[in-house]
Amino acid sequence: MLDFHGIIFAYRANPALGDLVAHRTAASLPFCGRYRLIDLTLSSMINAGIRDVGVIMQRDYQSLLDHVGSGKPWDLDRKSGGLRILPPFGLPEYHKGNYAGTMEALNAVGEYIRDIPQKYVVLMLGDLCANINLVPLMEEHIRSGNPVTAICTDHLPDGLHHRYVVGEDGLVKEILFDRSSDGEGIASLEGYIINKDTLLAMMDACLARNEYRFHKDGLANYLAQGGKMGVVVHHGYAKVIRSAETFFKANMDMLDKDIFDGFFMADHPIRTKEHEGVSTFYGNDARVYNSLLADNSIIDGELENCVVFSGVRVGKGAKLKNCILMKGTEVGEDCQLSNIVADKNVHFAPRTVLIGADTLPTIVAKGKHI
Amino acid sequence: MKKNCIAMLLAGGQGSRLYALTQQAAKPSVPFGGKYRIIDFPLSNCANSGIDTVGVLTQYKPLQLNSYVGNGQAWDLDVAEGGVYILPPYQTAGEKGSWFSGTANAIYQNISFIDQYNPDSVLILSGDHIYKMNYADMLREHNEHGAAATIAVLTVTMEEATRFGIMNLGEDGYVCEFEEKPKQPKSNLASMGIYIFDWQKLRQYLIEDEADPNSSKDFGKNIIPKMLAAGEKLWPYRFQGYWRDVGTIKSLWDANMDMLSPELLNLFDPDWPISSRSPVCPPSYVGDMAELDHSMVTEGCCVNGRVENSVLSPNVNVGKGASVLHSVLMPGAVIENGAVVEYAIIGEHTVVGCGAHVGSAPDGSKDWGIATVGPDVNVRPGATVAANAMIYTSEEV
Repeated sequence: MLDFHGIIFAYRANPALGDLVAHRTAASLPFCGRYRLIDLTLSSMINAGIRDVGVIMQRDYQSLLDHVGSGKPWDLDRKSGGLRILPPFGLPEYHKGNYAGTMEALNAVGEYIRDIPQKYVVLMLGDLCANINLVPLMEEHIRSGNPVTAICTDHLPDGLHHRYVVGEDGLVKEILFDRSSDGEGIASLEGYIINKDTLLAMMDACLARNEYRFHKDGLANYLAQGGKMGVVVHHGYAKVIRSAETFFKANMDMLDKDIFDGFFMADHPIRTKEHEGVSTFYGNDARVYNSLLADNSIIDGELENCVVFSGVRVGKGAKLKNCILMKGTEVGEDCQLSNIVADKNVHFAPRTVLIGADTLPTIVAKGKHI
Repeated sequence: MKKNCIAMLLAGGQGSRLYALTQQAAKPSVPFGGKYRIIDFPLSNCANSGIDTVGVLTQYKPLQLNSYVGNGQAWDLDVAEGGVYILPPYQTAGEKGSWFSGTANAIYQNISFIDQYNPDSVLILSGDHIYKMNYADMLREHNEHGAAATIAVLTVTMEEATRFGIMNLGEDGYVCEFEEKPKQPKSNLASMGIYIFDWQKLRQYLIEDEADPNSSKDFGKNIIPKMLAAGEKLWPYRFQGYWRDVGTIKSLWDANMDMLSPELLNLFDPDWPISSRSPVCPPSYVGDMAELDHSMVTEGCCVNGRVENSVLSPNVNVGKGASVLHSVLMPGAVIENGAVVEYAIIGEHTVVGCGAHVGSAPDGSKDWGIATVGPDVNVRPGATVAANAMIYTSEEV
């Protein structure tokens, strides 16, 4: 699959993610004890044989840069090609502050897109939570001859999303914008396999008209002018992480062994930055049920339905239920925590009691001491 | 480029007393403590001590070791000038070349490798010890005492002293006598098999020893006694801390168990990290029916049974109703539903079938010992593997 080039949109963070994105973009949100969201899309791409990937960033990208580094974990530290970090370098004239839309983000790195040597480009979100086998989807794109192929899901996404109405000829007839429920059409994962020439034409057209949105401007105009767009469906687990609730749910979903096994398929491994550290130690008083744990933690308390990142300490007598503990969290003795997301390096003093709602977890901001 | 000190790591031994565990790979690449292999300890110690050039001498079944060490990146030893070099025996012009015939011969055969760096000192390490040591401290003492050789020594009990190479000291504090496994030890300072030599001196002794037809080409047996006889200054570097030779099944099992007691061997210490090249795995999954007690579990594991006083390496699977007690499970081991593994070492990718029983608790008898099942073995469902057993192949079980 050397004819394909990957582009990952890692510049945005939905405000509904709250404190979780105070210091990072959604693409660098920690996920499932071990990963950052961008690992999933990067791994999907390299598992499909893509060797060149550009990551579009704009601001708050220190955490993301720190994580992806030279791209070594994904074998993207190449002499030629490999990983390219793409901060803005050719802002369109209408630019003000944050990227207003994906088309603006693409045009801001337009020169890079123009220089892509491959014939096809795979565009994907950095805040997509899915392990996608892209090979059959890329093959279908070539087979169909359609200049654009949209990657869709047969799962109902959380929150607003675009849907495509597909005609009998397999081509998209209409885009239904910002739908919140199942209904007509098929749900978009906002991933596209697109011929480079078509992408450039769309970018140029938008630039000429001062348009910045990918779907409502770029794709809508393309379809209005009779452009052909097919759809391909990813049948596995998929969520776009746009709110704290979805973030919490996606992590908790991984505690379902069937979802977990389907997600972490041995032949499509998710790669991430290696970390130093010992195996996790479970003390004499540890009780752990239905939980996921990374290495380098010391557990002396009770965990039920928890996702635990590395370097976490849980003291004796502590009882935790439905919690996500990010790297370096310390839970003192006899704490009681339910439905809590503790961001990195949070400290809970002994005997702290903190209960979040079932559907809306309480998020404790990075580094806080409680 | 000149280096102050480079390390030579002797990793060629078969480790025959680990039997089934070293059938396919050399001892330094045997898994240890969940995330590690034995060689991680000397390599990490080098990196932490500021020694960035390490020659790894391989001979016995080096394939796993070669791919594991790679370019040394896992230990931050992939530097531009220096780094990790795998040094197998090789052919020389006009001669047939030969296997390394002893520890000293292995270094002798690599004199030209060491000469490239023109080091003042050479640190000789072995690949079968579990310990954390700052070699920079040892090197400082070596230089301060103007020694031709400095030997790391450990204080042991007088009973234990009969099993070690023992250093007897003169009044000036330097080594005056070396006794291999003395029946009547005069001191309790045991050699740890870790040496720093003045390179020019060692080079000379190696060349002379090579020409001696009666020599067994060994540091402890030949080089050190020859240096003593010649009146060289040999300084003992007293090491304090955890150190264990893991050359036998029992000592390998003991060291793994010691890791479960941080007061003995603390690997959570951020000031002296032991690095490893570990596979990237999903987090470990601990199911509803799991019971974990005083154990270590590594990423990629799936635990649905009972695990007590045990060490689980990456990608180990413990089925429902299974019990793993006082045992070491190496990477990829599978303990199927209802199986019992106690006081045992289970090799890489070995499957213990449903309801099988491996090992047993100590019963005070003389014949009792840790049960060992080598790598890639299938233990039949319902089979029994007795205490002290050593299983090499699936045919046996």
